[in-house]
Amino acid sequence: MRKGLIQATDGFERIVHWSLALSCIALCITGLGMMYQSFNFIGDMMGGLKSLKYVHNFTGVFFGVALYFTIRMWWKEAGIFSMPEDLAWIRCAGGYLWHVDKVPETGKYNPGQKMFFLVVAGFGVIMFLTGLMMWFPLSFPPLIVRLMYVLHALGFVVIFAFFFVHLYLGTIGSPGSLDAMLTGWVSRAWLKKQHPKWLKEMEEHGTLVVYGAEKPSAKGHH
Amino acid sequence: MAEITKLIDVSKCTGCRSCQLACKQWNQQPAKQTENYGTYQNPPDLQSNTWTLIRFQEIAEKDKVKWLFRKDGCMHCTNAACVKVCPSGALHYTDFGTVAVTNSLCIGCKECVSACPFEIPRYDRVTDKIYKCDLCLSRIEADLIPACAKACPTGAITFGDKNAMIKKAYARAKELGGDANVYGDKFVGGTHVIYVLTEKPRVYDALPDKPCVPFSLIVWKDMLKPLSLLAAGGVLAGSFLHYILHGPKLPDEPGKEEKGGE
Ligand code: HEM
Ligand code: SF4
Ligand code: SF4
Ligand code: SF4
Repeated sequence: MRKGLIQATDGFERIVHWSLALSCIALCITGLGMMYQSFNFIGDMMGGLKSLKYVHNFTGVFFGVALYFTIRMWWKEAGIFSMPEDLAWIRCAGGYLWHVDKVPETGKYNPGQKMFFLVVAGFGVIMFLTGLMMWFPLSFPPLIVRLMYVLHALGFVVIFAFFFVHLYLGTIGSPGSLDAMLTGWVSRAWLKKQHPKWLKEMEEHGTLVVYGAEKPSAKGHH
Repeated sequence: MAEITKLIDVSKCTGCRSCQLACKQWNQQPAKQTENYGTYQNPPDLQSNTWTLIRFQEIAEKDKVKWLFRKDGCMHCTNAACVKVCPSGALHYTDFGTVAVTNSLCIGCKECVSACPFEIPRYDRVTDKIYKCDLCLSRIEADLIPACAKACPTGAITFGDKNAMIKKAYARAKELGGDANVYGDKFVGGTHVIYVLTEKPRVYDALPDKPCVPFSLIVWKDMLKPLSLLAAGGVLAGSFLHYILHGPKLPDEPGKEEKGGE
């Protein structure tokens, strides 16, 4: 760790995030293995398509648990919009799509991230509920179960596409972001660019944790 | 290979259930413990090891009771909902136009069970697989007629070339007159099991009036499924364009920070 780095996420946050991310990727890959017969070979690595089905189902349960903690942990920070600055940010698309002289300052999560969070949380819940019913389809009327498959596929369309948006913006699209997920320590320059208002808030409230500096009280998430 | 069809003429069926037994025998399916619930229909429903079943119905008419017998089982659809959803390829079309199951491939997901408009596939908990009539694939490949057709003593079940059977069915319905009608050749692309019914279809138990591939399956498999790869591909292409045209969002160089924005 380098002196002067700032702690953006705590250990609990990172574990929950990785749990959600890895299980989501595993679900997308195993799901693709069932959606397309030409991807059936993905099952070969797991000892057959039948095992793949069960890997998908039990990873789904794990995903549900990770999703519960994700929503509980980030709801306050990412689930609620703070007006009017979020609206101003949305109007200029956060400076991501065209040149903007001064991007409105946002807190820990910008409205783009909030929308992403809400979509993932919403469809995540849908995936979990529809998936559970699809696991035991004989316990429900066929008409209901048929609808569940449609919703599960719709959720897959959204989550699969969003995954790549997230991957791009979390890595090469915004260099420095990945550190927040990997070690939790980010540079001041990145924080200032990405979350200026949050940096100010932490400075004002004395909750900023700077590596190597005298330690103020760090607040966890739970 | 030419498409084949099994024709079931319910007017000739006496409810003897030879077909039910022959099916069990040829496919080496044991009987299951059953229960009497006040009808001759036995077992009460199709089972993972009962692929065909004579449904018994009593219709009360003025001073007498009329019996209806219908041999239920897979209809071998041309547009089979079960094949459309099966993730493993266990359910597949054969050269005869019929729908067979490769049980070793079945993963027990039961997607076919809720998809089939005729509610045919049955799940077996012990093997964790589904089962249904395969129109005696092993027999027709060997130029034999299906076991149920072979066993039928009254000629209610006949088997042969698709067009010839359809012709025969219409001729028989005309001969019977009244409400007699041909059921099967007009929906889900035409089935490879067709009936000559003596009553209107809706009179029969467990027989859908206008069966079709459920609309939800079309949204799921024909629209959302391809869209999932298209959308992901579009996002990847969009991200690439964003990177080379707009560029990543970089932190400001030290010293230039005060400017803010981009
Ligand atoms: C991020 C979350 C998830 C994704 C991306 C995902 C993706 C998929 C995909 C692509 C399919 C194949 C659908 C098709 O054949 O068209 C599928 C099937 C299925 N999924 Fe999911 N899924 C997710 C979560 C879950 C969860 C949480 C559960 C249950 C606990 C679940 C249970 C199922 C079941 C039961 C099937 C049907 C195949 C089977 O019987 O296993 N899924 N999923
Ligand atoms: S009747 Fe049902 S099980 Fe038989 S082919 Fe048609 S959809 Fe498949
Ligand atoms: S239960 Fe078996 S046959 Fe039916 S859809 Fe699933 S894999 Fe295919
Ligand atoms: S065609 Fe064969 S498998 Fe199908 S009901 Fe007749 S005997 Fe049984």
